[in-house]
This record gives sequence, structure tokens and C-alpha cells, in this order.
Amino acid sequence: MLSEIIVSPSPHISGPFSTRRVMGDVIIGLLLPFIAAIYYFRLYAITLTATCVISCVITEYICNIIRKKQNPAESLGDLSAVVTGMILAFSVPPSLPLWSAVIGSAFAIAIGKMVFGGLGSNIFNPAMVGRAFLTASFGMLMTTWTVPATIDSAMPNIGLGTNSSYSDDVIARTQATPLGYSKEAIKSKTGAKEVEKQFRPALFGEVGGCLGETSAVAILIGGIYMLIRKTINLHTPLAVLISTFVFAAVVNLIKPDVYISPLMHIASGGILLCAFFIATDPVTAPLSVKGMWIFGIGIGTITMIIRVFGEYPGGVMFSVLLMNSITPLIDRLCKLTPAGGKPNA
Amino acid sequence: MTIQAHRKFSFSGGVHPPERKHLTENRKIQHCFVPKQVSIMLSQHIGAAAKPVVAKNDQVKAGQLIAQASGFVSATMHSPVNGKVKEISLQPHAVLGRSQAIVIETDQQNNPLKTPPKDFNENFDESSFSIEQICNAVAEAGIVGMGGAGFPTRVKIEPNPSQPKDTLIINGCECEPYISCDYRMMLERTNTIIAGAKLAAKAAGCSRIIIAVEDNKPQAVEVFINALHKNGKNIEVLKLKTKYPQGGERQLIKSVLNKIVPTGGIPPAIGLVVLNAATAAAVAEAVVFNQPLTHRAVTVTGEAIAKPSNLYVSIGTPVSELIEFCGGVTLKSAKVILGGPMMGLAIADLSTPITKTTNAVTILTRNQIGDAKFARRVTPCIRCGRCLEACPEHLNPTTIAHAVKNNMLDLAIDYYMTACIECGCCSYVCPANIELTGYIKTGKILLARQKKKMPQ
Repeated sequence: MLSEIIVSPSPHISGPFSTRRVMGDVIIGLLLPFIAAIYYFRLYAITLTATCVISCVITEYICNIIRKKQNPAESLGDLSAVVTGMILAFSVPPSLPLWSAVIGSAFAIAIGKMVFGGLGSNIFNPAMVGRAFLTASFGMLMTTWTVPATIDSAMPNIGLGTNSSYSDDVIARTQATPLGYSKEAIKSKTGAKEVEKQFRPALFGEVGGCLGETSAVAILIGGIYMLIRKTINLHTPLAVLISTFVFAAVVNLIKPDVYISPLMHIASGGILLCAFFIATDPVTAPLSVKGMWIFGIGIGTITMIIRVFGEYPGGVMFSVLLMNSITPLIDRLCKLTPAGGKPNA
Repeated sequence: MTIQAHRKFSFSGGVHPPERKHLTENRKIQHCFVPKQVSIMLSQHIGAAAKPVVAKNDQVKAGQLIAQASGFVSATMHSPVNGKVKEISLQPHAVLGRSQAIVIETDQQNNPLKTPPKDFNENFDESSFSIEQICNAVAEAGIVGMGGAGFPTRVKIEPNPSQPKDTLIINGCECEPYISCDYRMMLERTNTIIAGAKLAAKAAGCSRIIIAVEDNKPQAVEVFINALHKNGKNIEVLKLKTKYPQGGERQLIKSVLNKIVPTGGIPPAIGLVVLNAATAAAVAEAVVFNQPLTHRAVTVTGEAIAKPSNLYVSIGTPVSELIEFCGGVTLKSAKVILGGPMMGLAIADLSTPITKTTNAVTILTRNQIGDAKFARRVTPCIRCGRCLEACPEHLNPTTIAHAVKNNMLDLAIDYYMTACIECGCCSYVCPANIELTGYIKTGKILLARQKKKMPQ
């Protein structure tokens, strides 16, 4: 007869999703940008990504020991530390010294996630917390951009490249990113058209920039993969991209010579990676569809405000962190109404 | 008669669990055995428990009234067998733990095996029965909703001047995985169901009857269409999208008529009556043959059972006897569920009796439950929002569940906890394996206790 009977509340079967599968899909989605990064930045991509991922995983393990978890390795199984490591690596310059990558990863996991209670309890996107820490602490390192290994010389016409003094690597040459040039154009009130010539390279990733952010096409394909797998939904990416596009289109229409075109804005900087991989981090984004739109529009708008009016060339990190901080308020604002309407009582 | 293929509108949310109806869908409802002993629960329905009218050691006959309805929302009970009242005592109950039941020891010598009645003639005419006759027969037969909730049918179909009703929906969706007893009823007792629908519609004053079937049961749609060719004016057959919980009353109404039942309200509030297909058949038998509800079709299924079957069983039969009749279980079985895997109740005691609302006994193995769920490996909520997307009632399951978990019942109520229909979609989709439905159910029980509606 029956050897054991289990009693638990219904339902007694569960669907195909698991946290590990969700995170695993994000990692698969990130693989294409990773391959693009390897193509353009060669060894930098591999060492930096590996360093960030390993540091994140080890930090989480150590935090679990400090938190006296019975099985400190258990929470690593959800793969969220790997995702954080990859996104952090993708959003820093390729030539970032490995020691600072270790510090950034440790900060991202320990302060960004574990002090709040681990996965699910953190307020801010851990990778963005780590990046913010690195930007604040090692400003120079975080703005030294390596020229992709596929081009021989620095950008023609606008060649601002200088030799990096931070890396011993002989091939390391630096240049500004498209957004850096865009900032120059805004400051000098001319030259936006010149920057737009970099649209094609930016689309495929042959420009200076953060490790995994340069290739728009690779990120887009990774994002589509996650959409197909239903790992993310369309709302947040659409909200981010549409708001960015509209904002950029308005300023571009007013002064086309000063502000670069909306498509150029979307193809450059971290906005695409943000739209598909950072803003869609479920933990730090609102729950409801309406909330996702508010969140995404907020990120797109703040990013564009920083890009157009701010001191920094890119603003994804700040906008994500700012919107993360008001996620609980958005959730409260977007309280759902039951299908049958509000009860009369 | 009109037949509409697919409706444009449907409810939002819902899930697509594996159907697994192939185990039993081609097995006829077979009569099985006379149980040695039956336990008739006094509380098999929503509302007040029935009051016993027999005492210990009384002799009872099959079909005899043994408990009286004790209020407006209550139902009568009848003995399914000839025998002697052994005791009136606490018996295992899937929801209440233990509950009062009349235990009848069957007379082994003098007990004919009750076979499922023959299907009605397709020329059945309801005009020879008056509204009063129909309502009384339904009340006397103790008919309650046989789909699961167990709402006394009399209350549903009785004419109520303050809430006139115009449309009767026969719910033949059977959206729960595994279960096929309603499907078999629709195939084998088509005309009985139609007759019951006509009688109920007459009593309730409904001019329109819609038979709604999910599109994964094309054969059921076909038999209804054939049966209705001759004598089916005002009756429509509607194919609905296969999606769980399509058979949920509120979701069904949304899909069939694109109408919304207000939160906290019931279908009569918007002029509708919804009857489960098996209930309609029971209505027909009660009115025409004066037959009380003492037997019902039950699907005994699951990968762990040797011979999955559809059986015509006495209400009160212990689950263990049904399992035995179906060849017993394989060793790996892990969960015995009264009902289907989405909304059914897992039981620990196999002597739990079948009630009027039990449509299936599903026995699952570890494989079907899934390793993570089996080991109850719960990870933290990652706030992915899948539960919000799946919720057919547009609730926020994760917020409600975590409010209940953290003892913040007020917050849970604020997020409309009481509007939850407990369909289980949120728990089904949850990647973190959190028992969201379980927490919400707990919250509802805590609330009922606060309001002193439920014993501690």
C-alpha cells in the first residue's frame, strides 16, 4: 500500500518555472553580448567577466557563512550571483584592473544584496550598486575606454585617443565612447552629426564603451531570447526604450546639430543592456504591468536627462538606482483592482 | 439551437497545466461495489450542517432520509445503502480535519448493487412539472453543486423576485487536469443533462440555456449538438478555449457572456445560474424519478493507480475501498487528493469518505509533483510578478501571501484577499515554489476565526 502520504495545500503540481531556470535564461541571454565582447575586447572580456562572476559567487558564499546558513552553498544554486557578476562585468570598462573588479563585485553582493537578506530582499540592483561604488571610488579607471581590438587606429576624424596609463597591456589604446563624443557635441554646441557616423559601429559593437554594452545587436538578440522564453516580459524594455526614444527625438528635433539622434542614443551606452537585462531584474522592479511602465519610463527619462543635461556622459546606472528606490512606492500606487471590481463593503 | 465555435473573449490570466485526461477519458462510468460501510458527512456543502433524523442502531433503507437540512442554505442527506446506523461520530474530513458523520454498516445479504441509470429519452418535455414541484424535488433530493463548491442547488434555482434570472449556463468545462467524470457524464448521459438543464431553467425562469464545454472535449460538443437537433430550442452549445480555470464560475461567465460577477457577489446578482453538468443530471433524476443524490460518478486516476477508472460510487464510500477496487497503488505514490491536482485536497487518512462534491480521487507520484515541490524547496520570492499575471481575479497573490505570512491580515484584506477563488494558478506558476494559495487560504481561515465564523 502507500509507503508515505504527503499532505500540503493545493495545487499539487507546479509549472515549469524555477528561480534557477529564470536566472539560467538570463545567463544564456547574456552569452551573446559576452561573445561580442570577446570578439571586440579579446582577453579583457574573459578575464574581467570571470573575475566578476567568481568574486560574486565567493562573496555570496562568505556572506552565507557569516549569516550562519546551514548550507552556505545552497543559495548559490539559484545562479543570481552569476547574473550579478556578469552584468557588473558588462557594465564596466574592459580595461578595468581586476583588483578593482573584485572589490566592485564584493561590494555589489555584500552591500547590494546580502545585507538586505539575500535574493528577493534587496532594494537596489546589486550590479548597479557595485558599479556605483566603482564609479565613486575609481573614477579614472571607470572612464578609461579601450579601443576594440578589431580597429587599428583610434576613431578617424574625432581621434581623441591617448595611451592608457593604467594598463600594462601593449594593445590598450583608449578613446571616448559615442556618448562621450555626444557630450562633447553638447558642450561645444555642434558636431552631433559627426557622432552619428558611429551608428553602424555602435550597432555591432565596434566602439569604445563598457565591456558588454557596445554591441546593440547582440544585446537585442539576447533580449529576444529571454522574451521568447518568457523570462522577462515586454513591458519594461518597451517602456525604457520608448521613453528614451521620445525624449531623444524631441531634443534632436529642436537642435539636430547639438543632440544626437534617438536611434544613436539607443544604440550607444548602456540603455539597451539596461532595458533587457538590468531594468528587468524582477527583485528591484515593480510587480504590476502598470508599475513596470512607470518604472521603465522613469529609467528612460532620467537616463536621457543625465545624458543631455548632466555632467556624466551616460546615466543608466543612476536612473536604475533612483527608480529602484521608489519601486515600493510604485507598487503601492499601482494597486490592482480585482476582476470583479472593488467590493462594496 | 445555435452552436458557436469559439468565443472572442475569455478571462485574463490562467494557466495551462498538463491535462493528463487520457488516463480515464475513454473509460465508461462503471458501477463498482457495495461498500462495507459508508460515512455520510453532515457537512458536505456550503452552509449549515444537516441534522440527523436517525439514531444509533436504526435500520435504514437505500434512499431513506437520514439527515434534514437545518437552514435555508443547507442540504438533506440520504442513505445510499440498506443497513444499520452504526454510530454518529467524528470521521476524517478533507477540510475540517474531523467532522460529524452518520456511519452506516451495510447489510451484506440484502443490498442490490446500484447501477447508473439509463440516459433519458431525447424527447423529454419539462412542461409536465411545475416550478414548485421541481424546486421541492431538488431540495428533497439534497442536491448540491457537484463540481466542488457544494452550494445547495435549490437556493440557486429557486425563483427570487428580487433577483430575476434569465440565463442558465451548464458548466461542462472540467478544466481540472486528470478528471474526466463530467466528460463521461456528458457522453453517456447527454439527454439527462439536457433534461436537467431544461428543468432547472424552468424553475429559475431562465429563457436561455448555454452549455459550455472546453475545446479539448470535441466529442462532448458533438454529442450535445446531435442530441439538440430535435428538441433543443433556446439551447446553445459553446466551445471555450482550454485554459485553467475556465470552469471556475466567475471565469466561465466572463468567457461565455463577457459579464463580470461583482467581487463578493454571486451569479444570480447579474441574473445568471451556473450548474455543473453532473448537477444537471442529478436534477433530472431527482425531479423525474424522485431519486435522492446518493451516488455519483467519481474519477479514480493518477499515474500511481493500477487501473484508472470512472466509477459510479455510493456517497460515503471510503477512499481506501475505491483505491483497492482500482487495483491498488504503486509504491512510489506520494499524494492522495480528493479532486484534481489544482484545487483538490490532499488527505492523510484513507478512510476519508467520498462526499457529494468529490469528483475525483487523484493519486500522484513524486514525478508528477516535481522534485522541488515534493521536497518543499521554497526559495525567496523574486517578485517576478508571474502570479499577478496568472491570477484570473487580478489579485496580487505575492503581496497577500506575504502579508498573511507576516501576520498582517489587515494588509492582506486591503489587497482583496477575500476575492481569491483559490484556483491555485499563482502557486502553479511561482518559480520560487511558494505556496501562495496555501497562505491565502490560511489568511481566509484566520479571518473567518476572527469573525467567529469558524471553530478554533
